Amino acid sequence: MRNPIGWAALTAFSLAFFAFIYAPLFVIIGYSFNSNPINMMIWESFTFDWYTGLLGLSDRSTDVSNRAAYVESTDLMLAALRTSLTVAMFTTTISTVIGTATAIALARYRFRGRGFYNGFMMLPMMMPDIVLGIGLLIFFVTIGMNLSILTIIIGHCTFLTSYVFIIVQARMAGLDPALEEASADLGASELTTLRKVLLPQLAPGIIGGALLAFVISMDDLVITYFVSGTGDTTLPVFIFGMIRRGVKPEINAIATLIILASVVIAALGLWLRSRKTD
Amino acid sequence: MAMRRQSVVLGMLLTPVTLFLGVFFLLPLCIIAVFSFLSPGLYGGVEWSFYHWNYGRIFGWADGIIEIYEPIYLQILFRSLSFAALTVGLTLILCYPVAFWVSRLSERWRLVFMFLITLPFFSSLIVRLYAWLLILKPSGLLNTVLLSIGAISEPLEILYTPTAVVLGMVYVMVPFMFLPLYSAVDNLDRAQIEASLDLGANRLQTFLKVVLPQTLPGIMGGAVIVFIPSVGNFVVPDVLGGAKGLMIGNLVEQQFLSSRNWPFGSALSMIIMAVVLTVLLISASRARKAGGHA
Repeated sequence: MRNPIGWAALTAFSLAFFAFIYAPLFVIIGYSFNSNPINMMIWESFTFDWYTGLLGLSDRSTDVSNRAAYVESTDLMLAALRTSLTVAMFTTTISTVIGTATAIALARYRFRGRGFYNGFMMLPMMMPDIVLGIGLLIFFVTIGMNLSILTIIIGHCTFLTSYVFIIVQARMAGLDPALEEASADLGASELTTLRKVLLPQLAPGIIGGALLAFVISMDDLVITYFVSGTGDTTLPVFIFGMIRRGVKPEINAIATLIILASVVIAALGLWLRSRKTD
Repeated sequence: MAMRRQSVVLGMLLTPVTLFLGVFFLLPLCIIAVFSFLSPGLYGGVEWSFYHWNYGRIFGWADGIIEIYEPIYLQILFRSLSFAALTVGLTLILCYPVAFWVSRLSERWRLVFMFLITLPFFSSLIVRLYAWLLILKPSGLLNTVLLSIGAISEPLEILYTPTAVVLGMVYVMVPFMFLPLYSAVDNLDRAQIEASLDLGANRLQTFLKVVLPQTLPGIMGGAVIVFIPSVGNFVVPDVLGGAKGLMIGNLVEQQFLSSRNWPFGSALSMIIMAVVLTVLLISASRARKAGGHA
């Protein structure tokens, strides 16, 4: 392997690979500061206008009706962000509770159908989201349930429960059951052992699973697209709609803020993980 | 391993998942299956009578009344399968050398590049696709650069072609291929590789006989994880593909949100589900066989 020319070629290829992954993100960030409103590909000059416009602080357009349209879309975007955060918070809580309970049950109890549950928990993750999305859409319409923020939360929980399950299960596998046996031998009830001995040990896995669920929920497009009504829309669906209607320069600013937020969250996740192994 | 038997606590732990996934996951899938055999109503609803032409329309058998058959649906199905296979192949070719490279770096740099490869997981899918829209547009970055350096005299038309769709899918799926490959490459038994080289095998032989078989589980895992979301993808072709880049996911979306033929859309979804389950069963049986030999 220590063939210097081969290694140099491999290094060049790999660096090009990472450039391929990151260049598009930098393109968006760069153009979010371009003041050219007609063709954002042609550099005019540096501006913060798209950001201040997003926050409702200023507006470049002098035309009053145009300005009204901008303000309206800003309001819609903030509403979408609020919906996304609400959905993600409820979804994270519900799927973390259900996923953790399932992981504990499958790791610590022997019962009929255990193998079935182990395989079954993989299915929601593997099912293409479009199939799950239309299945839920038909289901909600058939039982006469209105599409709302509630149906979005239910839709997200169906597959995020599996993600939490996988992460917590991995953590379970590394635990020493002797501690729980000791607790039981010393007279603690099953429920007390669960609460006082098992859950504290599982905490890093549960937090990791919850963080993953939150991030995926914030980013989900397809399921939300099918099960959201006309009223509530999440940020990814809102951006999808904006792209379909035609690209406006504000999208670059929104996208840049989303990229920044995701870098912060990813770094936070890494930091949590490194602390956990200490 | 401390394994307890059935108890009240076990019931408490398992009831939520059973109820929730039973009602909101299994039941909807069953409803898709039922709907795929119902007749489409006149104004977008369904009529509760058995109707097999939702499938006939795709695979080409006669209805009795409607004898015209459009092979377009079968063509789009094959296109989806081949785009997904192409995505698997391209992500594999891109990720395999890079996984090797990262595994040979010093601890510090390995952490940095592993962070860089997982970062896209945390950033928005739609934002990343939108970036390619900006790059590939006729007046986009790629054409602007190529025109200004004189490499081309007319703008390339990449956006709204199959090339753009496959490019977009490869871009989105790369991290999913990388992680299973990396763990396989990182677990390679280096002593075996050295032994093979010392015993006179050349690099190609060593790769084919030692490295490839050892990393095959990672390759298979990555292939499954990339193939499944690619087949039913509708966002990538929607944003980057034109009529020629249409995939089966787009057909499903149209049946539900614009044509309002839910039974036909359900039949198309059943086909996506059948493809996915087939892939999962094949990979599970292969994994079991491989495990039995080891």
